[in-house]
Amino acid sequence: MSAAAGGSAGGGLNPNQVIILGAVGGLAGIYLTMLNQAMDTTIFSFLGGIGAIFAAVWGSDAVRRVCSYGLGTGVPSIGMLALGMGIVASMFGLTLPEVAGIPTVAGPIVAFIVAAIIGLIIGVMSNKILMMNIPIMEKSMIEIAGAGALVMIGLSTAIAGSFDIVAIMPAVVETGFIALVFIGGAMTILHPFNACLGPDEKQDRTLSVAVEKGALIMALAGFASLAVEGMDGISGALTTILGLVIWVVYFKKFMKQTHRDSYLIAGTGLLPSEEELE
Amino acid sequence: MIDPITIILITLGGVFIGVGVHFIPVGGAPAAMAQATGVGTGTVQLAAGAGLTGLISAGFMYNHLAISGVFTTSDSIMVMASGAIGAMIMISVTMFVGQLIYVYGVGVPPVSAKVKKDPITGDVQDIYVSKGTEGHGVPTVSFVSGVIGALLGGIGGSMIYIQLMEIVGDPTNSGAVALAGIFATGVFYVNSVLASYNIGGTIEGFHDPKFKRVPKAIVSCLIASLLCAIIAVPIMGGVI
Repeated sequence: MSAAAGGSAGGGLNPNQVIILGAVGGLAGIYLTMLNQAMDTTIFSFLGGIGAIFAAVWGSDAVRRVCSYGLGTGVPSIGMLALGMGIVASMFGLTLPEVAGIPTVAGPIVAFIVAAIIGLIIGVMSNKILMMNIPIMEKSMIEIAGAGALVMIGLSTAIAGSFDIVAIMPAVVETGFIALVFIGGAMTILHPFNACLGPDEKQDRTLSVAVEKGALIMALAGFASLAVEGMDGISGALTTILGLVIWVVYFKKFMKQTHRDSYLIAGTGLLPSEEELE
Repeated sequence: MIDPITIILITLGGVFIGVGVHFIPVGGAPAAMAQATGVGTGTVQLAAGAGLTGLISAGFMYNHLAISGVFTTSDSIMVMASGAIGAMIMISVTMFVGQLIYVYGVGVPPVSAKVKKDPITGDVQDIYVSKGTEGHGVPTVSFVSGVIGALLGGIGGSMIYIQLMEIVGDPTNSGAVALAGIFATGVFYVNSVLASYNIGGTIEGFHDPKFKRVPKAIVSCLIASLLCAIIAVPIMGGVI
């Protein structure tokens, strides 16, 4: 189906379906946390984590499509690039409403658009100046940067309970959880294809890993939010428990798909003891 | 609000990082099997490892000097030196321990396949290259090149960090420290990945023919860092 260097990657879901799933799902998850402010609670914070999972699925699908052409530098590089662009764009997007005096609601959308612009410029440079000559480079870079920004905002929102920079600064940035969000978010995007690549790579298996990684980081975000002032313990625990449940479900699914795609599964038994070897 | 000198210096820092990456002997997966010269991991991991260590030592020095309330130009040179030395120690330790494993563990002599004689020591190289490989270990010229690369990367990273911190001008503000640190990291990753795309896999150091591609990396890192700087400066000024 795909993925040795030099060809485009196919799969069950076509790219446009994944883009819609990731962008709409990611933004919806982030915006639904506004229920927190509407109902004066923090219980809906977990929706940010769910949004991050959708965005991670999108990001890792984009990574899998672009890396099928062979970058020459390993898959992790593109994930770190995504979050490098994503962190600059998302902080800009979330801060702009505060600086420019526009409504806070615009934050995630501005971040998303800025990430896409940075992605486009880096994609164009990769092809035109660095001569990488990957036909889908520009489009993939836009997607990867956009997904990176959404993962970052989603996880930050899950920790802080709101995407308002006034809440995110003390809860995520000053506590240093931003480093967790940065590296953890990069893992959700770069790890799935890095773990599954090869001639027998299948889209559904790779994306199961993306969901599973996203859920794991979501559970950690729940833990992190326990340390945040203004977040009650139940909201944090809910995020963690939901994350762990999704993780278990998708890890089992991944194992099943691995068994499905493998040629043969043979039990080797335990290692022989010293006496048996003699 | 937006000071052009700050933006220029952040951009310059990004370019330093991009150029520095080209000096670091990156062997990638082949080097992990002792089939190519350099350290057996990717460009981004090596550059980021050295860069982040540099950032930590730069941050320590900045905090130490800026706490008095006055931060002069000579102070910023001290911070950049501290960042550069942190990065250089990190890369030297990585290359040295890797070297021990190549020599005593794998059992290969450190040798470059790109040059006939080591440009620094003058030692003959080509007769020691194992058949079917592109050199192995970290020869003297690659080691020196790696240290130069870390110097540039460390200076670049600290430069970005200082400029971002100076916008706020308050080293006791933990929000500013975290934001400047994470921004510097973000810009660091963007530039080191762009540079590694330019290298396209493995490089031995400044004696490698691939090193001639540096001008293209300078142009792209310039554009990317400028973009990041224009975005980062208003946030640092606006949020704190």
